[in-house]
Amino acid sequence: MLNASLFRRLALAATVTALLVSVPTRSIHAQSPDAGDKAKAALAVLRSDAAEADKALACKQLAIYGSADAVPELAKLLDNERLHSWARTGLEAIPGPEADAALRSAAATLSGNLLVGTLNTIGVRKDAGALQILTQRLGDRDPEVASAAAVALGHVGTLPAISALKAALPRANGALQSAVAEGCILAAEGLLAAGKTTDAIALFDEVRKAPVPAQRKLEATRGAILARGDDGAALLVEQLQSPEQSVFRLGLSTAREVKPGKCDTALVAELSKLPANRAALLLRALADRKSPAAVEALVAAAAKGSKETRLAALESLGAAGNASALAVLLEGAVDADADLAKAATGSISSLSGAEVDAEIKKRLPAASGKLLPMLLELVGQRRIDAIPPALAAVDSADPATRAAALAALGNIVDVERLPVLVAQVVKPRDDADAANAKKALLTAAIRMPDREACAAAVTGPLATAPAPAKQVLLETLGQVGGTKALAAVAAAAKNGDDAQKDVASRLLGEWMTADAAPVLLDLSKSLAEDKYRGRAIRGFIRIARQFKLEQAERSKMAVAAFAATKTPAERKLVLEVARRYPDIEMLKLAAKAGAEEEIKPEARIAAAAIVKKLPEESAEAYALAKGLGLEKVKLEIVKATFGAGDRQKDVTDVVRKNAGSLALIFIPGDNFNKVFGGDPAPGAEKHLTIDYTIDGKAGTAKIGENGTILLPTP
Amino acid sequence: MARSVTRPGASRRRFLKTGLSLSAAAIAPTVIPGSALGLDGTIPPSERVVLGGIGIGNRGTYDLGCFLEQNDVQFTAICDVKENRRVGIKKMADEKYGNESCAMYQDFRELLDRSDIDAVLIATGPNWHTTASVYAAKAGKDIYCEKPCSKNIDQSLLLRDTIRRTGRVFQAGTQRRNLPHFAFACELARTGRLGKMKRVFAHPAGMTASTSGWLPAENEPPKEVIDWNMYLGPAAWRPFNAKLLDGFNFEKGGGLVGGGVLEWGSHCVDLCQWAVNDCPPPVAYAPPVDGQIVCTYDDGVELIFREKDWIPLGSCPVRFEGEDGWVEAGDSGKLVLSSPELLAGRTVEEIGGYPATFHVRDFLDCVKTRGKPKGNADAACNAHIACHAANVALFLGRPVKFDNATNAFVDDVEANRLRSEALREPWRI
Repeated sequence: MLNASLFRRLALAATVTALLVSVPTRSIHAQSPDAGDKAKAALAVLRSDAAEADKALACKQLAIYGSADAVPELAKLLDNERLHSWARTGLEAIPGPEADAALRSAAATLSGNLLVGTLNTIGVRKDAGALQILTQRLGDRDPEVASAAAVALGHVGTLPAISALKAALPRANGALQSAVAEGCILAAEGLLAAGKTTDAIALFDEVRKAPVPAQRKLEATRGAILARGDDGAALLVEQLQSPEQSVFRLGLSTAREVKPGKCDTALVAELSKLPANRAALLLRALADRKSPAAVEALVAAAAKGSKETRLAALESLGAAGNASALAVLLEGAVDADADLAKAATGSISSLSGAEVDAEIKKRLPAASGKLLPMLLELVGQRRIDAIPPALAAVDSADPATRAAALAALGNIVDVERLPVLVAQVVKPRDDADAANAKKALLTAAIRMPDREACAAAVTGPLATAPAPAKQVLLETLGQVGGTKALAAVAAAAKNGDDAQKDVASRLLGEWMTADAAPVLLDLSKSLAEDKYRGRAIRGFIRIARQFKLEQAERSKMAVAAFAATKTPAERKLVLEVARRYPDIEMLKLAAKAGAEEEIKPEARIAAAAIVKKLPEESAEAYALAKGLGLEKVKLEIVKATFGAGDRQKDVTDVVRKNAGSLALIFIPGDNFNKVFGGDPAPGAEKHLTIDYTIDGKAGTAKIGENGTILLPTP
Repeated sequence: MARSVTRPGASRRRFLKTGLSLSAAAIAPTVIPGSALGLDGTIPPSERVVLGGIGIGNRGTYDLGCFLEQNDVQFTAICDVKENRRVGIKKMADEKYGNESCAMYQDFRELLDRSDIDAVLIATGPNWHTTASVYAAKAGKDIYCEKPCSKNIDQSLLLRDTIRRTGRVFQAGTQRRNLPHFAFACELARTGRLGKMKRVFAHPAGMTASTSGWLPAENEPPKEVIDWNMYLGPAAWRPFNAKLLDGFNFEKGGGLVGGGVLEWGSHCVDLCQWAVNDCPPPVAYAPPVDGQIVCTYDDGVELIFREKDWIPLGSCPVRFEGEDGWVEAGDSGKLVLSSPELLAGRTVEEIGGYPATFHVRDFLDCVKTRGKPKGNADAACNAHIACHAANVALFLGRPVKFDNATNAFVDDVEANRLRSEALREPWRI
């Protein structure tokens, strides 16, 4: 045994790491600079008459920073029912023989739960030196104590520990039976990890044969199968044949764990021997294995057999299969049984691999009947480069084939052949084709990498297309975006007929890029129809409000928008932009808006919000605010509450945070319930009550829910 | 790269509306059809999953509602240390079944002793999640456990190992794995459609470590009303204080490192982990700089916890960036792509509000097939370790390195001591 001093030196030199519990086997480089101080302070707390709460937290500090010199103080707390586990927190973590010795010593004298806890910690530390006390406690009359000792012996896992457990295995009963079995299984896992496979198998087998609870037997059986490797196939199959559902289920889960090899062959062979319901479940387990033998078995089971097994196989092949499964899946997809057909179709969609794509493409030219639209559907889904056969299918007499062909082309057509879809939009065979062509064109358009080329293809027939087709082409351009599309849609909004203006002005109002701004501003001035003019100016304001822009540019847009507005509602939208993006220009705009009585309240709120957010105190800003009747004041919020009756919520911090040097306070948010973090009095009429001082004079304001927060001068 | 989407929400909506697809290609929650499980029409008793609930508060009540929607579930017992919850859940179940047969327990071990119960829903506070799950697994029950599933790194590993050893089905409450838009985003990353992966981003919803501590003693209610001893469970003892009864926050993450990035991280990092094919967690973690914790996987891909700069797609956002494209998704049910090409003609069903219904169905299907549900213990273990390790870097305020072979921090004793914490007696996992 190393003495403490020597141990500390060796530990620092990282040469006795084998003795360290739960610590990596390399040197201890990283350390908090104040670790020593923390440990010292925590130790001082334990040595003092500090309150239990302080001692408890000191134990946790020592768990991180403490060393051997903390062990005696921690050990003193082991017989304290309130602080026992706090002390073990430290002792469990501190490396070295001192902690082991202290725990062993406590295990010799403690009883009941405190002893159980101590034994548990010895187990966690895998203290091989505790064999004697653990073996002794294995025979304790208290079954909880004996069980804790059994599991701890399993964690220790040395040959003497295993011997003690094996000796107890046949004679233990009640709760101890389970714990001894658990200890054995833990020890067997340790043997296996150490490469002692034969010993591990023997121990697993011993548990399997012992009078232990069923769940422990299952665990031992799993261990025995996995430890045997290829030789575990027979034992695995035995589980699958068991009449006991729990045993069969263990077989299913273990079948997913065994290594590839003989077990695959054995599992596949078992399929034909099991009843259909069990075979179906085994097929799903095989699917999870994804081995060649498993896939082969799934393909065979998908082709023939009971519906239950066919269904399981067809459903599983999607994730587990490969190109070899395509034939049986295609066959299944046209099966008369709807369940089988659905399962097969779903699996084909998720079957992965370039070989699968090649196989689908290869089958396309010769396909007919139900198979052809299905293959076309797959071409589209999987983006298979099969444009010529898909183009040919557009002229099919079969509506389902035409629909599938159009959908496929939407997903695969390139920009050069995009006119094929445009032509289908311009001159469809019937209404169904028109709808399918529209969808296909939109799909194709939004995925084209060269959107200018795409827009050119779509714009070409715009002038001559029939009215319904024109709308589809415009909608498509709206999705495409870019310079050409914008110009074409703008022209339609300006010069088109009423239907075109309607579509085009709507599209521009939702345009996805800021380059639509000048077009929208121009239209807002030139369009005579109020409906379309309104869309244009609102679209322009929307860009100023939502898009990422330089502040100077945004301010200019707000000014231009304000000038182009025709209604107070539109001007209020501009003031919202000013409020969101404050600068002196926006404040000037608010000041100007304040001259109009109908929008003055919004102008004042915008001004208050802007003044609060301006980075520096500005005389010009306060002068502008003053023009709106908002004087600069020295405002202090004393207290603010929101609610009804005695259901009040303290919202002082929120109000204070948003208060500035004006008596009007703007708090961003939809309504008081949201900005104040919830409704304090659901269903009741609520008020915001603010106690404040303005220039040193106290006042109280009571503001109705969601009202303007304007504090009167006291 | 094709043109990027500069106005996310509207643009993506357009893609989804116009992304022409055939129904078979639609990405919707995947569940094994009932027909495959012999679930046509009425459900024979042998096909029912008999369920018990452990610690069913607000979140648990929601989860339970999702279970009760499934016609092959029979909820039969509730265990809670709080009397009002026991009674409330019994009432809910009894009203559903029109009887009085839902049993109530104060000690979950009694519920686990019932051989007729197949599976348990564990929705206690995080303090209990691993411990209760381990006890349930050892009792032979399948488990749906709310997140975060573990309090530290060692618990994450122990939970994973126990689930493997016992052969149980475990579903972490990471229900976003069964929502189509998140699944699609992860699929894009996993299958190389974004090119070689560079970064995955997770929203931590807070980077402040917290500890429940020891509050002043208050009068302890009668054990029948609130069983304080069982409430504390594996957490170190402290006197009763009503402020600690919020199970959601009590001992979250345990020890001194609690909280931090774990609460939301166990969802968002879980999705990031899925995006990188559920590989082992990152090997390097740096403390926060400019609101970001940057972690690095073995292959150089970065996992970044980021508070700000998200496209407004709702809570729990994630973003995956590859050399050829990116995708971002959030709880609104929407996602934004760097290029519509990535949609590849498919329609992604928009399901907002992060419902757990599909996750629950996935779990129940796996209970029957013994397959691995999407939020399985291996996946949950990796995601939780990533969160715990990031919290350790956060707590220590210095970079830490983690070795996935040894499951230990490299050359850092303090960090290693933060990997685990003793359980209060008599609890053992």
